[in-house]
Amino acid sequence: MLDNYFPILVFVLVGLAFGCVPILLGWLIAPNRPDSEKLSAFECGFAPFEDARMKFDVRYYLIAILFILFDLEIAFLFPWAAIFKEIVNTEAVKMFGFVEMFVFIGILVVGYVYAWAKGALDWE
Amino acid sequence: MEFKTILFYLFSAITVVAALRVITARNPVHAALFLVLAFFNVAGLWMLLQAEFLALALIMVYVGAVMVLFLFVVMMLDINIERMRQGFWNNLPLGALVGLLMVGEMAVVLSGRYFGLANLPPQNMPANYSNTKELARLLYTDYAYPFEIASVILLVAIIAAVMLTLRGRKDNKAMHSSDQIAVKAKDRMRLVKMSPEVELPAVAAKEGE
Repeated sequence: MLDNYFPILVFVLVGLAFGCVPILLGWLIAPNRPDSEKLSAFECGFAPFEDARMKFDVRYYLIAILFILFDLEIAFLFPWAAIFKEIVNTEAVKMFGFVEMFVFIGILVVGYVYAWAKGALDWE
Repeated sequence: MEFKTILFYLFSAITVVAALRVITARNPVHAALFLVLAFFNVAGLWMLLQAEFLALALIMVYVGAVMVLFLFVVMMLDINIERMRQGFWNNLPLGALVGLLMVGEMAVVLSGRYFGLANLPPQNMPANYSNTKELARLLYTDYAYPFEIASVILLVAIIAAVMLTLRGRKDNKAMHSSDQIAVKAKDRMRLVKMSPEVELPAVAAKEGE
């Protein structure tokens, strides 16, 4: 089975080389003679006025956390889809796999409706 | 040495080094990026175990969502790195105690007969073997009830996130249709009883000036 993933390994290695080799080459063979004039900001550049870290609106985190939670929900859907045909008709219960997943999604829809009704998805 | 063994040692070595850098890096942004590197290599290890779904879910959920949020928080948060380092030596005994406890617990679990690495000889699966399907067969039949519990835990997390971070904005001009429908004439207009005013003659007003 792992043989199927060999092209992906090659792809990862090529990607790494694509990112690292130009930087390494530049570091190795480019001449490096810095002076204060070269390193100072010029033309449109200017020295920063303040620190980049600042107080940030908490609503960005709320949206991000909601995204992660529904992302997890999606992660549960993939293996379910892979064996859907097998578990949709088990010997014991008809439509078991189908109902099971819809109970799962239904519970999460409660959270979605709650977030929507509370206005967590409104921006302005 | 087999190619897979070389890959295993490569992934493991990078994971360990990256994990060490996570706790030793001075800059929290660098620490988060090293954690991303560690996740990628753990995904490689899982792939070597032929657990493709777990490997890809790790990259999708942890690297794609959780670590992006982490990076976002540490890059934007107004934290003073120097001040965070204060009290390191005071907190060290407690931290070391918790760390040792966790190492001990992991050692007990991994060496115990429940985990039983010795009982699971490595086996070469055929090309059409699907770890995802094996996982799903267990998760959606034997473990259906814990699976539904997982959705309740996610629901709790959604409600907690909304409760903790939702702040009403003062300049919010959104309409509340239920309030608008429920409004009564009494709420909109107030009738006030008062005695009639008598208009003064214009002459008297002039004299008063």
